[in-house]
This record gives sequence, structure tokens and C-alpha cells, in this order.
Amino acid sequence: MSGATPSTARRAVRAVGLVLLLALLLAVPALLDSAYWLDLAVMVLVWAALASAWNISAGYAGGLSLGHAAFFGVGAYTAVLLFNELGVSPWLGMLVGAVLAGLLGALLGVITFRLKGPFFVLATLAFGFVVHILAVNWRGLTRGAAGLTLPFDGGPQNMLFADLSTYWYVGLGLVALVLGVSLWIERSRLGYYLVALREDEDAARSLGVRVVGCKVIAAAISAALTAVAGTFYATFIQYIDPASTTQFELSVQIALVAIVGGMGTALGPLLGAVIVIPLGEVLRASLGGGPALAVYGLLLVVIVLTAPNGLIAGLRRVGRRVGVATGVVR
Amino acid sequence: MDLTLQILTSGLLLGGLYALLAVGLTLIFGVLRVVNFAHAEFMMLGMFGAYWLWALWGIDPYLSIFIVVPGVFLLGVLTDRLVIQRSIGAPEVTVVFATLGVSIFLQNAALTAWSADIRSVTTPYGSAVVELGSVRISVPMLVSFVVALAFATGLWLFLNRTMFGKAIQAVAQNRDAAALMGIDVGRVYLVTYSVAVAAAGAMGVLIAPLFSVYPRVGLSYIVTVFVIVVLGGLGSVVGAVIAALLVGVIESVVGFLLGTAWAELAYFLVFLAVLVVRPQGLLGRRGAEVYQ
Repeated sequence: MSGATPSTARRAVRAVGLVLLLALLLAVPALLDSAYWLDLAVMVLVWAALASAWNISAGYAGGLSLGHAAFFGVGAYTAVLLFNELGVSPWLGMLVGAVLAGLLGALLGVITFRLKGPFFVLATLAFGFVVHILAVNWRGLTRGAAGLTLPFDGGPQNMLFADLSTYWYVGLGLVALVLGVSLWIERSRLGYYLVALREDEDAARSLGVRVVGCKVIAAAISAALTAVAGTFYATFIQYIDPASTTQFELSVQIALVAIVGGMGTALGPLLGAVIVIPLGEVLRASLGGGPALAVYGLLLVVIVLTAPNGLIAGLRRVGRRVGVATGVVR
Repeated sequence: MDLTLQILTSGLLLGGLYALLAVGLTLIFGVLRVVNFAHAEFMMLGMFGAYWLWALWGIDPYLSIFIVVPGVFLLGVLTDRLVIQRSIGAPEVTVVFATLGVSIFLQNAALTAWSADIRSVTTPYGSAVVELGSVRISVPMLVSFVVALAFATGLWLFLNRTMFGKAIQAVAQNRDAAALMGIDVGRVYLVTYSVAVAAAGAMGVLIAPLFSVYPRVGLSYIVTVFVIVVLGGLGSVVGAVIAALLVGVIESVVGFLLGTAWAELAYFLVFLAVLVVRPQGLLGRRGAEVYQ
């Protein structure tokens, strides 16, 4: 250890860790040989992408949204409707949905940028309900509560795959996309502006940060990425209805996953999905839906009261301690 | 003409029900600066309390209210001590999501304990009506309407005519200054929160003869009540009552003309418009929307 400086040793540990993690992720379909677990793993990816996308506007820009299911629904319904009605490939439908959701997110950002705290939360909640009510009642378009199925024909060019493992790899790509955007924002001028205005809006404004513009951009990016996850979900499950794509509970769970993992960090929401989604599934399988959700509620209360920065902050502390103990970090 | 009068009356009575929830919610916000997402869950627990006392021992809701409301009050004390007080002064995410977590927990604890079955209390007066000219008024609706207005009036008098009420108002205006003047802020929070959720529990008991109870029943009310509370101006008791009556009338008129789904859509859009154009609400104090 005497030859290497701590920083190069640290970099080496990090590089080895990354390679191992990547290898592990690529090997998941081989490691999880049951369809049940692989299915759950793909859902973890969907939630990781959703929580990360939510984190872009909520974690970095400080706009705690309880209406993100609306964008998820827009992504899911746009792609399915375009495919069913016009035969447009969901790959293209995904882009259309993302643009639509991005515009909606920007619009919501424009009308809510002045609102603070609970007022912002309630406005996003109302927006989510508007979209949900439309999805349920605009039966001519959405077929209401009956939902829409995505007929399985076409294959990869239509984002429909015969085996689960392909969904896993596409899902990995989705998470990589959202994570990439998050990391880019974190390191970009926009990211610094967002954090500045989250911490003190007046101070940021007085230093020349264009508050409205930054908030609207963050809202649009977040909404568009949420919609992309919505399209992926729709092609994975091949059936959508308002209960599974636009309902309020979905918005709550998106926020919950990100908060438990750690808002305002790129990796926190991913950690949240890895912990919360399997935990929920195990609880549901062993105890039933009611107790599983009751535990979600308790988990949310305990986390926000005792560790509002999420589990990632605790994990970092532990990691640092291990690093110090092994001499990798001073 | 008769029909119009009937629809308006039903709307006002419905508004009275909403008022009992809205007054408490707005008070909690005004004083604690906490949006109590769990508010309607206390109403749900009140309904279940009334249901079980009736189903197991045949106790009439108008009697069991004297057992259930103190019970819900104690639950409020517990929630305040365990969750609400700990979230005061914490980051915004804690303030918003702590009560949301309580709501999810209570809903699903009820689901676990009592399943998703839809249950109802049957009373001899459940469908009784009095006729006032040509207008028919449901007796249990009228009772809950009267109780709601009496509660709101009593609360208003309490806030304005007693020392403790004035202490509550002082805390609402400025927590730190109130504490410096020797007001026990923790006690003010405790009383405010527990009384407000007890009112929600009372509403639950009062509507038990009218509506069925199931664990997620709160969700259909809480969102309407948020609309009311924002319309009336968060923190304004009088505003909440007026907005509740207004929303009740809108819901019954638009519901009659276009169907309930579109009535809901209409008031969400009105709600968004109010938030954007006049976030202090129609009757709220200017500046109340400036959050902390």
C-alpha cells in the first residue's frame, strides 16, 4: 500500500467495482433462472428509471411532485394508441410520448413555478388527478377502466420481445439513459443552478440564475424520461389501464422509492428501487397486499423522520468507514 | 323550480359534510404549516368505529360518537407525538411525506385488519326524510350539517374568545415570537392536531348511517377537501366553511347536469386555476401562501 497514493488506490477500487457491477448486471438473466424473479428484476429497472426521473425535478430542483403518474400514463398510452390505431412502432411512439410529456411537464412548470412547499405539491397532485380522470372517462380514446392491450406481433422492431432477458437488457439501457442524464445534469451548469435555487431561490435569482427557465427545463426533462419509462412498461406488460398507469398511488410510490433511496443524488433513487421493490414483492407474497403497503407507509414515515437524505447517505458513511479501516481512504 | 331547490339543498348539505373535514385540515395547516394527508383516514377510522360498535354491540352511531371521537382524539395525540412534532422544522420532504406515510399506513392497516369489504350501518333513520315545502331533506344529512356548522362556530369562538385560542392564533402568525412570549408551542400543536382529527372522526361517525365504509374511503374525500381548503385560503376557518358549501353546491349542480366524473374534472381545473392566479385562496389572508 505504501507505493500507491490514496487517490489512485481509490480510483482503482472504484474501477474494479464498476467492472464487477457491470458484469453482474449483464449476467442477471443467467443468474435468475426463474421467470418470476427476472420479471421482478425488470420491474426494479422500471422503478429505478421512474424514481431517477422524478429525482431530476424533485431532488435537484426541489419541486416535490405528486403527479408524475400523469407522465408515466402519457408515455404508456401514447405508444400503445399509436401502435394499435396507426401501426406506429413503439420505439417511435416512445419518442412521441416523451415529447408530449416533456411539453406537458414544461407547461405544468410554467404555471406552478411560483408555488412553494405544499402549494406546489397540491398543484401537481391536482394535475395528476386531471390526467387520471381523463384516462378513466375519455372512453373513446382510452377505453376507460377496461384498458388497452398491446397485441403481440412484430417483435423487436416494435419493442416486443419473446424472452424476458431482452426486456432486462432494454431496461438496463433505459436506466443507463436516465442515470446518464442525471449525472450530466449534476455536473452541468444547469445542475448547479438547480441546486442553488433549491437551497435559496432568492439568493440564486439575485446571482443571475434564470429561476423559471431552469425549473421548467428540469420539469420537462423529468417528465419526458418518466414517459419513456411508461412506454417501456407498456411494452413489457402489454396491457395498460388507468389503475396501473395514471393512479395517484403510483405517483406516491415513485416519490417513495426516490426518497427512501436518497433524493438529490444520482444513485439514491436506483438504490431505493433495488431495496423497496423486492421488499414490497416479498411482503406481498408472504403477508398480502395490505400489510405490504402498511410497511411501505411505515418505511416512508421512518425514513423521512430519521434519515431525510435517504439510505444512500447511510451507505456512504458505512463505505467511508470501511475505506478508512482498509486504508483505501484516509 | 322544485328540482333546482332540491339540488341546491342537497349541495349545501353535502358541503356541510365537507366543512367538518375542511375546517380541521385548514386549521392544521394554518397553525402547524403541515398538509395533513392523513386527515381523511381519521374519518375512515371514525366510520369503522361506528360500524363495529353497531355491528358487535348494536350501539347506535349517535351514541357511539361519544366513544369513537375520544378514541380518534387519542390517536391524534399519538400521531402528533410520534410523527407530527418530529417533522416540525425538518426539511420540506419530511413535512410533506410524513403525513402521506401515516395515510398509507392507516389505510392499509385498516385493510389488513378489516379486509376490503364494503360495510354499512343500517339504522331506522338512515333513509328518513323531512319535507320542507317541496324539498326533501335526509335526516342524517341534516344532523351532520348542523353538527358541522356548530363545530365551526364553536371553533371560531374558541379561537377568538379564549386565551388558548388566541395562543393558537399567535403560533399561527409566528411560531418563534409566540414561543418567546411564553406560549407552549408544543401544546398548541398537540391540541390543534388532535382536535382537528377528532372532528374528522366525528364526521366519520355522522356519515356512517349514510355511506358505506371501506379502508380506502378517505381517498374520495381528501382530494375534494384539499380543493376546498385551498379555495377557502389555507388556514382560514371561515373561508373553509364557505368554500365547502360552494364546492358542495357545484358538485351537486354539475354532477346533475354532466355526471360526477366531469364535475370532479371541473373542480380540479378550478383548483389549479386558483392555485396559479390566487394562491392565497378566495378568502385567505394575503401572504398566507408564502410558505415559511
